[in-house]
Amino acid sequence: MLVSNSGPDAASRAAVRLLMQRLPSLSPVEGGASVEPIAPTDPPILRSAQIVEGSAVRAVKVPGASGATTSGFGAFLDGAQKVQVVAHDRGMPIVIGTVSAAVRVRVDRRMITWGHQPPRVERAIYLPLRYLPTLTAADVSTVAAQSKWRIVDTSTADKNGEYPSQHPAFLLDRAIRAVDQQREELEDRLAEAWCARGEAPLFIDGGISRTTSVASSTCAIGVIKSHRTLYVQGEALGIVMSLGKGERSSVFRVAPRSRSSVLSWYLRLRAPDGHDAMWGLVRVEVAECDRLSERAEEISRWVLAETTPLSLPDGRWDKMAYGVRDCEEFLRAIS
Amino acid sequence: MSEALGRVVATERKPNTPHEFHFWTAIDSPVGIGTIVRVDGAQPMDGQIPHIYGIVVEGFSYTDLQSPMHDVLGHDGLPTMAGYASTERAEIRLYTAAVLRQIPEEPLQPVPMGQVFLAEEADVQVALRMDSYLREGANTGIPVGVYRAGGTDAVIYLDADFLLGPEAAHLNITGVSGLATKTSAVEFLLASLFKHFPRDKGSIAAVCFNVKGPDLCYLDKPGEVEKTDEVLYEKLGVEAKPFEGVEYFAPYTAKGLVLNTFRNNEALLDNVTPLTWGLREVLQFAEVLLNKDDVDAKADALIDFIKENVVDKEFRDPVLTKTHRVQSFADLDAWFRDVLQGMEKKDGESWRTHHVATIRKVRNRLSNISTRCAGLVTDSGAVSDLPFGSFTDRTVYVVDVANLEEDAQDLIFARIVSKLREHLERRDLGVKHLVVFVDELNKYAPGDGADTYVRKMLLDIAERGRYLGLVLFSAQQFRSQVHRRVVGNSGTALFGRMDADELSTPGYAVLSPATRTKLATLEKGQLMIRHPHFTQPIFVRFPRPAVMQGREGAERYPQASEISLEAAILRALRPLDPTITLPWVQEITALYSDEEVIRARNATLLARPDNVKAYFTAQFRKIIPAQAAPRPMAGSIKSAPENDPYGF
Repeated sequence: MLVSNSGPDAASRAAVRLLMQRLPSLSPVEGGASVEPIAPTDPPILRSAQIVEGSAVRAVKVPGASGATTSGFGAFLDGAQKVQVVAHDRGMPIVIGTVSAAVRVRVDRRMITWGHQPPRVERAIYLPLRYLPTLTAADVSTVAAQSKWRIVDTSTADKNGEYPSQHPAFLLDRAIRAVDQQREELEDRLAEAWCARGEAPLFIDGGISRTTSVASSTCAIGVIKSHRTLYVQGEALGIVMSLGKGERSSVFRVAPRSRSSVLSWYLRLRAPDGHDAMWGLVRVEVAECDRLSERAEEISRWVLAETTPLSLPDGRWDKMAYGVRDCEEFLRAIS
Repeated sequence: MSEALGRVVATERKPNTPHEFHFWTAIDSPVGIGTIVRVDGAQPMDGQIPHIYGIVVEGFSYTDLQSPMHDVLGHDGLPTMAGYASTERAEIRLYTAAVLRQIPEEPLQPVPMGQVFLAEEADVQVALRMDSYLREGANTGIPVGVYRAGGTDAVIYLDADFLLGPEAAHLNITGVSGLATKTSAVEFLLASLFKHFPRDKGSIAAVCFNVKGPDLCYLDKPGEVEKTDEVLYEKLGVEAKPFEGVEYFAPYTAKGLVLNTFRNNEALLDNVTPLTWGLREVLQFAEVLLNKDDVDAKADALIDFIKENVVDKEFRDPVLTKTHRVQSFADLDAWFRDVLQGMEKKDGESWRTHHVATIRKVRNRLSNISTRCAGLVTDSGAVSDLPFGSFTDRTVYVVDVANLEEDAQDLIFARIVSKLREHLERRDLGVKHLVVFVDELNKYAPGDGADTYVRKMLLDIAERGRYLGLVLFSAQQFRSQVHRRVVGNSGTALFGRMDADELSTPGYAVLSPATRTKLATLEKGQLMIRHPHFTQPIFVRFPRPAVMQGREGAERYPQASEISLEAAILRALRPLDPTITLPWVQEITALYSDEEVIRARNATLLARPDNVKAYFTAQFRKIIPAQAAPRPMAGSIKSAPENDPYGF
């Protein structure tokens, strides 16, 4: 996922002008300050997972992984988002969120945009309507109609019927989460479309368990770079943290609540010597299948093959495939 | 309409201007340095979509790689590993194009964003403003080559009004030696001129000075034309055949027996005319041959006196033993001898204000001319010259001076060009437009060095020739070393493959580094053209001339070696009368000196009489054959009487 922070464009400024006509006390923010994604509030955790390859987690050297290995991935999917606080009305944040997602297909070793589903870019205005009493429903409709952007209320009650705090930072967090969610939806729609066509294996930047169709598709492979939740405990944790370059863990099953269960394993892409323990460590997710070891070895070889060319200068280059970086650069250009 | 092949891009660091813009293309697009493109603006201006035409002058390629080190790290320092990467890095082909033309032309604005298309033939005509002279009614286009890029073949035309005048004129061509590009280009361009120069603009001919090698010696002989060149000829509307009207002129060798040209093979002599001049012709251009240090004011005055009062006049003087009529170098030498002997007799130091030392010096220098220019200058005064006054349309007159001494070359060049100029001024040359082709301009019109008569003449043509219809086509290896006013006055400039040192001189600074690189690697048959209508140089291909190349001609028609006098006479006269045989020549010439025989040959060749044998024979003075004196009748000796006392 790409988070960009360029200033407001002409369309954003036009949207702010529309709101200013209806909110006299609206105060635009110079430059439209971009907001970093909120730091996760949940603490990092270890979670147990069902080992499905053998009886215990162990390190497995991926056979046949070399510089000459051919990758079987035919495309890459990633999303991007941009969150800008463009104004505030007596402290209440007015946010414009831009989300985008694209599938980039590899043809003759070069990346091009998937022709069947064009890349998607969506924009929305995130307003805490409850705390903007002067803004009527008619005003909201008018702004939505004229800007052609969706209006998202960030002050709706949660499933318990409680309304959010009026604290501007809390409302901003809610807006950011809403943008996150919007981006994930875009990514999921593209992933579903890809899997429905059953084309070549798709490298998805992130997990695949959000939607059932993707989680069960043999052509969707998720590669997760962040490890706030580690699916190993005890001795298994030490084994995973000690994986050498080109080694993977045993396959385990990840079955989060409200999501589909998938098979997963850890894979070390680069030698961690001199780096932290997470250096070059990714977790791979695939759909449930038979002959897991063969599948894990095959996919691991593909993921290892994607370590060149380097995705520098991105700071996550130790784990990021070049195809994902290409997606992010593409989305940066169009959104 | 073809598909777009690129998009205009501009950034704050690399903005577009009214004269330059940038665009990117797909990796495999057929764009390269010299490609002409068209930009269609996205926004109409005054209801008209702007079209901008440009030529690619620079290209850039880069990837998203931030540091070369990243690539090294990515492949573990092993270049061979790079080939296994699953994905090629994102790569850009970014080009810079110089604007050739904007439509509408006003207001002149920076090039807008828009799609970029490969220029088609019609676009090329508009881009290079050729539409102004290819339209009905103007029709002054002279094909010079074919522009080729990405499947587009477009004929590039020069404007005759800017090539031969009166708007601009002259053509200069530069290129390294040995590729035959310069000579070939001129040969093809002359063929194109003869074919396409509008008849309503008058007649045209060319005088080519062959200053080195045999390249211009076989213009009337067919050469090999390859298939690819045939296609070019067809496209250019020029017939792939040798010149129909070619006349050659060359002086004799020093011995005077054979012509001093690569084209003196007996099979080629039918259109070769000897070039011989006498005293009168040479004296007009004495300053070409006489060194300034030799000829001071006093000597100059004496030469003027001779020109005005002695040559071709009955000259009498008390100091002379007889009346002189000086018509040849031999006559002049006799006159000098008489003057000096007369002065010696009188023990005088000066004659008619001319000091004896000056007279001796001038005699020495003038007499020396016939030695230095032997073969060209005749002692006898016989003149065989170019057909000034009767030049014919679409004819090439080649003057072969390749094997001559530098002095003789200078004399020939100076006199012929002066005569051409005189006749063009009087409008009686026979043609209205005349192209003079001179190679080796580095030698004849150098930027530095002495201000020679030849250089002055070239400057004069370059600066004033176009008003007379006298057009200079010049060539050299190093344009930077030619006099600036000569190349500066050339409206059209052609460039073949260039030497890197030459390209590093300031004159080429206006070209982009990529264009200079392309110039340094041009193939045979490729040229870069600058023409007054073109705002940027254009690259074209032209076909190999359909005439026999110099090397092939020299092999097929070997040069005649020095032969006996009789054989030389036979070879010279037989084209006029095929019945002449060697025994006949030997019989006629047996009693005469070599000089007399050569003089008779020259006179016959000049007159080209109907009865060659009779005319040739008539040139010799009558010599009564020696007859044996009749033996006097021996009288009988009377025997003395036996008793004669006085008898012995």
